[in-house]
Amino acid sequence: MKRTYLAKRNAILSRENLSWGSGALAFALIMLVLRLVAPDAFVASVTPAIRLSQAMTAGSRTFFSSFADAATLSAKNEDLMIQNVAFANENQMLMQKVADLTALFGEVGASTESIVAGVILRPPESPYDTFLVNVGSNSGVTLEMGAFGPGGVPLGSVTEVAEKSARITLFSAPGMHTGGWVGTAKVPLALTGRGGGVLDAVVSRSAPIVVGDIVYMPGPGALPVGSVIRIDSDPTSPSVTLRIQNALNLFSVMWVELRAL
Amino acid sequence: MIQAMVTIATFISVVLFPWPVAVTLALGGALLVPLLPLAAGMFVDTLYYVPHAGALPIFSLFGALVTILAFFVRSRLATGIMSR
Repeated sequence: MKRTYLAKRNAILSRENLSWGSGALAFALIMLVLRLVAPDAFVASVTPAIRLSQAMTAGSRTFFSSFADAATLSAKNEDLMIQNVAFANENQMLMQKVADLTALFGEVGASTESIVAGVILRPPESPYDTFLVNVGSNSGVTLEMGAFGPGGVPLGSVTEVAEKSARITLFSAPGMHTGGWVGTAKVPLALTGRGGGVLDAVVSRSAPIVVGDIVYMPGPGALPVGSVIRIDSDPTSPSVTLRIQNALNLFSVMWVELRAL
Repeated sequence: MIQAMVTIATFISVVLFPWPVAVTLALGGALLVPLLPLAAGMFVDTLYYVPHAGALPIFSLFGALVTILAFFVRSRLATGIMSR
């Protein structure tokens, strides 16, 4: 009996079509297993690519900024220098005030040791609002340590620790819930992460809150974390939703300070 | 050749570029390499996902969904057109 052989028995799941897909899937699985079994080896294997990415980003920024108008840049530079002097003076004044209050009331909540960590991965490459940092349990990092950005801005907490690396979930990560206050009246808030450095909070319509109000989180005292950029209100609802922007640009945070809360 | 380029470009973009670029490439390459969205989604989650309350590995989940859709669409298209 004559047997018929088709040139392509299954054109949908052909070997040619599956080869690159299955190769990609195998690669992804290997990386996943590597992360689960040897997180430090995983971080070491991806770090060179990430460094290249950061170098490319910095290079492209320099390239595009070279097209900016020189006069505008000069004016901007002058403004920033004036602001810098003003902030330095204000900082000195606040430091003096802290010293006076410390002398008056004693050391309150004396700060514990902190660990400075370099950020390897950050948004927007990281879509979950997480940081990967270059210190781990070998340097004393433990779970639930708080992460603070420049100026002591609270950013998130350590949620995964390996020997030489750790992952920080930012307060703005989708699904993260934290407490805080807003405005000069320090109205209590339940903050929810929405991704991209943005937080949400639902408060009563009658609360005295306006756009631009500073949002605080508990730390040693109340630490400013961002400001209200928009207030969404539905006339049928007794509450309003605050959209809160992080005080720092998460895309450019290079270092964070880790300390026990 | 195109399949190789799309696959490699997607994986490189996961590390080098913001995630919307990788998503666009994975979606665009889904008809050529149906397993690509799933693989790329898993790679994104391997790099960036941190388990915590309320967070799901959404890139893997959506990647799996798009892969299923891609296989479904390919099965509905004339095999004579899809095959070279």
